[in-house]
Amino acid sequence: MQRRRLLVLLVFVAAGLAVALPEAALAHGIVGREDLPIPKWLFGWAATAVLVASFVGLAVLWPKPRLEAALERRLASVPKLLDPICGAIGIALFVLVVYAGFAGTQTTTSNLTPTFVFVIFWVGLAILSPLFGDVFAAFNPWRAIARAVAGVAALVSRDGLPAPLPYPERLGRWPAAIGILAFAWVELVYSGRGDPSNLAVLALAYAAVQFVGMSLYGIGAWNRYGDAFAVYYGLLARISPLRWERGGLYVRRPLSGLTTLDPVPGTVALLCVLIGTTSFDGFQNGPVWGELSPRMTDAIAGLGVSQATALELAFTIGLLAAVLVVAGLYRLGVTGMQRESSDGMTATELARRFAHSLVPIALAYVVAHYFSLLAYEGQRIVYLASDPLGEGADIFGSAGAIVDYTWISATAIWYVQVIALVFGHIAGLILAHDRALAMFSDGRIATRSQYWMLAVMIAFTSLGLWLLSAANS
Amino acid sequence: MIQLPIAHAGHWAVNLLYVLPLVVAVGALMTQSWRDKRHEKAEARGDKPADAPPAG
Repeated sequence: MQRRRLLVLLVFVAAGLAVALPEAALAHGIVGREDLPIPKWLFGWAATAVLVASFVGLAVLWPKPRLEAALERRLASVPKLLDPICGAIGIALFVLVVYAGFAGTQTTTSNLTPTFVFVIFWVGLAILSPLFGDVFAAFNPWRAIARAVAGVAALVSRDGLPAPLPYPERLGRWPAAIGILAFAWVELVYSGRGDPSNLAVLALAYAAVQFVGMSLYGIGAWNRYGDAFAVYYGLLARISPLRWERGGLYVRRPLSGLTTLDPVPGTVALLCVLIGTTSFDGFQNGPVWGELSPRMTDAIAGLGVSQATALELAFTIGLLAAVLVVAGLYRLGVTGMQRESSDGMTATELARRFAHSLVPIALAYVVAHYFSLLAYEGQRIVYLASDPLGEGADIFGSAGAIVDYTWISATAIWYVQVIALVFGHIAGLILAHDRALAMFSDGRIATRSQYWMLAVMIAFTSLGLWLLSAANS
Repeated sequence: MIQLPIAHAGHWAVNLLYVLPLVVAVGALMTQSWRDKRHEKAEARGDKPADAPPAG
């Protein structure tokens, strides 16, 4: 009881301090000033009203689980040849990105590698997956190489290949959570992130880890739980009404794919890492971090490390703290839910059972925080496709293209961000409500247990809007 | 020149406006939860809840 009170107190103090401090600077790309009819904070109130209205609507109009065990039907046949073709394209792109990183100019904006990794791959695929299903699985270069090698090895060896080790249950999605945290660290903390050759080295290192993982535990198991990007895009693809399988395309209710998510260890951690690191990306562009980070850096540098290392350490602490705040908020909601449900389930068990409701929130945070990056910096791919090394080539005749910062206004971007946040959290509420109805025999207990999840959703929405308003102001 | 902390109150107040909906919602939800439980206890005892509609 004491520990629970302490947790409640710590989370509220951390969240309160984070929000109750002055506003801030510039997030991604060059975003102008918005021309809004109402103050930004009023959007927070409106979003809360929409979430509460959605919650009441669900309680009244959604009396039975509709997404749990929803059926899917085959929409179309897909030629089996498509899989190896997509795999070959994925390998070619991977080779190109690594080659451009080593052989091309080392200027960030003139080399294909940084834009491809941080904009097209990290943000573009995250937005495509909930729309079109698990696109990355088809193009995953590491899986394609492993499959090709396994196919050849099976042909050559006389006794067949040895069976892979069983994937350790306790490992769950922890490798993926650590992988995404490492990628976020490179993106947000590492001082050499803009150097294309560094990114090429890291891409090769990541590929090597995947090959070791797949050779130990098998291609399927490692891609389901271990490969950070395969797991990340696979999670987002569960939102999609489309599911691809070798030889077929299936259609299902949007979001229903998330209900079959196996809640193995590390799943909650992975989602908290996704939401927390994106939150830190917004937070570090605000004035609070602008004032705090120099002080932290000086204090760390006083311990005897260089200024550059001290800066990275300060940002690393900030990144981890953001993940812990998000994890604390979710834990708080789950602990409250456990108290309301009183059916003997532990908070850890409940946290895993409701983890799928965090997936649309993770997507909402990605769209809200990175939409402007994709909208503006994503345009660089037009000239980089013609000149990937930045050495004056013009393969497709588009090397002279420039980034148009006027095609979408700052006001339009703000509305996209707000809509993404609100819809993401409504989707989270729907999933949590549907799961509660399936888990708790009494509809009233199910609804009451979700009061806490509603509070968590409002907290995440308010936090997201505050971060965006501070970063865009 | 010495600046009083109150000079930054505008900044703080604007940011607090983002927390306020959460505070209001949590307060309302806790009240509702308490009322629900009281209602259920009354039902379990066979009493007529205080806010139940009159029998018609």
